Amino acid sequence: MPANRLGLAALMALAALTAATMIAYAAGVRMGLLLLIGIGYGIGLCSVAFGFTTGWRAWIVERDPKGIYAQFVMIVVASALCLPLLQARPDELSPAGGPIAVCMVLGAFVFGIGIQIADGCGSGTLYKAGQGHPFSLVIFPLFVAGSLMGSLHLDWWLSLGSLGPVSLPQKFGAGVTWLGQTAVLGVLAALMWKLRGTVSKRWVGPGIWWAAIGLALLATLNLIVAGQPWGIVYGFGLWGAKLLTWGGADLSANGFWGREAQQLQLVSSVLTDTTTVTSIGLLAGSMGTALWQRKLCPAVKITRTQWIAGIIAGFVLGYTSRLAFGCNIGAYFSGISTGSLHGWVWLLAGFAGSLLGVRLRRRLGFSM
Amino acid sequence: MSASLTRYRTLYLFWGVLALFFAIDTIKAWPLDWSLDPAPVALGSGQAATGGHCSAAPK
Repeated sequence: MPANRLGLAALMALAALTAATMIAYAAGVRMGLLLLIGIGYGIGLCSVAFGFTTGWRAWIVERDPKGIYAQFVMIVVASALCLPLLQARPDELSPAGGPIAVCMVLGAFVFGIGIQIADGCGSGTLYKAGQGHPFSLVIFPLFVAGSLMGSLHLDWWLSLGSLGPVSLPQKFGAGVTWLGQTAVLGVLAALMWKLRGTVSKRWVGPGIWWAAIGLALLATLNLIVAGQPWGIVYGFGLWGAKLLTWGGADLSANGFWGREAQQLQLVSSVLTDTTTVTSIGLLAGSMGTALWQRKLCPAVKITRTQWIAGIIAGFVLGYTSRLAFGCNIGAYFSGISTGSLHGWVWLLAGFAGSLLGVRLRRRLGFSM
Repeated sequence: MSASLTRYRTLYLFWGVLALFFAIDTIKAWPLDWSLDPAPVALGSGQAATGGHCSAAPK
């Protein structure tokens, strides 16, 4: 490796450790560790362009299964580690237990449409914003605003009907849940293999498999350190709610922000929120990776119509991910890998939405 | 002004706004009570996870 590249790597590692130490000093060792985990997420996602949105689109458009296979590998590895831990330590570790609700299904479906227009889900928008992609940089604040608005309306949406959270490990045990879930993903993978079209040109080489395994290990560490799985959307809503309260709004009567835990979070430092800290780490990790790959701030051509569509999609993504009790990370990945049935429902509804979203994307003239 | 400089400016602006948000939050937030500082690692701490997206689900 040339000396200047070695120097850059050393400088970035030093910056990461310094930032983690500062966060640990300001908000506790746990938050410092979570920042490092978040940086790892950013490196894993950005280094191989690990995309949930692109993985689905590659299958829908080209019948290229590699991106979705990588998601399945990530889920199988993470659930193999997380499910026994959750079973052994239920008092310390919490699963991503969202309810099966009307608004959850609707939210995931519309989120599935939105990610194809915005070309990024929760993690995708974050890592592309870190990369300096102008589209994601502009969409990001709209995602925050939408997430806030969704949280403000959540109680009304929940009144439309909910079956409550369904934990598969509680019903069947961790081992049976892991075997059952892996079998379902295996059958899906086999079906996709039968229907596959082109050899993947998007993800060449084994990098994506290593990234999937690495991200699964980091997600397990996230659970061990934070006591809860990897999530993104909650932090965005919190940032928006804080801005609202700084402007003088009183959210104590709101169904979501009026709860004791949320009221406490609103007056506490945002650095005490685990989702915020991992998301900041993700942004920084992907920026460092893009700098390393010499891909920081890519040049993109976006028409006025595409900008308008992207801005609307950004807001919709934030709003619907709150109704869906998470995005592709908090609901789909963390939901399934911790045995919550809502993760599976989210996957079905979100993918159905993406089938429509890909058509809209083509009509808007975005690259496929 | 070159297009590449404009692209970088968007990124700088993004991080600038984010840093400003964190700075204001640090000023406005309650001072951290070190006695409430959670154990470095949740596993083995004997403490239940609080806050974050787990607190977003209806109880």
